Amino acid sequence: MLSYLSRSAHLAPALKSTAQAVANGTKNIIPGVYEGVVVELVQPPPKALTAYTMAKRCATGPVRASAGIAVSSQVRYAHTDIQVPDFSDYRRDDVKDSRAKSSVESASSRRSFTYMVVGGGVVTGLYTAKSIVTQFVSSMSASADVLALAKIEIKLDDIPEGKSVTFKWRGKPLFVKHRTDEEIETETSVDVGSLRDPEADSVRCQDPKWLVVVGVCTHLGCVPIADAGDFGGYYCPCHGSHYDSSGRIRKGPAPLNLEVPTYVFPEDGVLLVG
Amino acid sequence: MAGAISRVYQNIFRRTSTFILAAVGGAFMFERGFDLLTEGIYDNINQGKLWKHVKHRYGQASLEDEEEE
Repeated sequence: MLSYLSRSAHLAPALKSTAQAVANGTKNIIPGVYEGVVVELVQPPPKALTAYTMAKRCATGPVRASAGIAVSSQVRYAHTDIQVPDFSDYRRDDVKDSRAKSSVESASSRRSFTYMVVGGGVVTGLYTAKSIVTQFVSSMSASADVLALAKIEIKLDDIPEGKSVTFKWRGKPLFVKHRTDEEIETETSVDVGSLRDPEADSVRCQDPKWLVVVGVCTHLGCVPIADAGDFGGYYCPCHGSHYDSSGRIRKGPAPLNLEVPTYVFPEDGVLLVG
Repeated sequence: MAGAISRVYQNIFRRTSTFILAAVGGAFMFERGFDLLTEGIYDNINQGKLWKHVKHRYGQASLEDEEEE
């Protein structure tokens, strides 16, 4: 009995009303007899609250009912009770009333608004991106205190004419030479084309009276000796490079002239290097 | 009003090239305006505390000291 009820599944209510139920051939079920009270077990239709329950109420599959004289009856569902959703909260003012006028007229203004919103986003996005990139790039450059330490100020009055004085600048020797008039004349009259590293004297010296060069030999990095050598400028004792009074290589293995750092004369008698 | 909007749409927003151009140009102007505005707000909140607000006092004092020396 128990086996019959459980196996017959949803057919059970129908079968219960009969005196004797015979199973079909596919299932080997022992026929059972039920003689109790017949209980109506048809489920009431679900309340149509959602689209799903509404669909549940619709007839699916072939409709069995037929009536009329030689014609089949139809079952029609007129959903007059279903409200059409109101989207007017979401519509633009221009197209609130769809029957009043054509939406083509207001198309450009509606699209303008949309593009304006997008354009505003692009503008602020560009500004933000630029600010972030600027921040990161500027963090890579040296800060103001480091830059201030990397400069030296030299009082030129202390250097007598014809003398070269050595200072320490960024860990390297710095030669400042107060040139005499003869030296200036000699250096300016040199044929630039004949030099190994052709550079005119006027390019290397802002003020012809003062020569400012980094005291590192361009050959292998020795420190040249001031006021020495065949050309009256600098002489590197390591491999015998001769520089003239403009710091240009004239003789020996060095390939380039002595390096000229960036410098300014902020006021008379003061030299600022760096 | 509607004519101006549709003219803006026809001339700027409709083509991607002009739209991007307008956005970049607008970003330049926006940057200037936004920076000025925020700087102004910052200066206003910190009125009297920043160096540029008190510089004239100390600048004057240091000049006087130099004159005394």
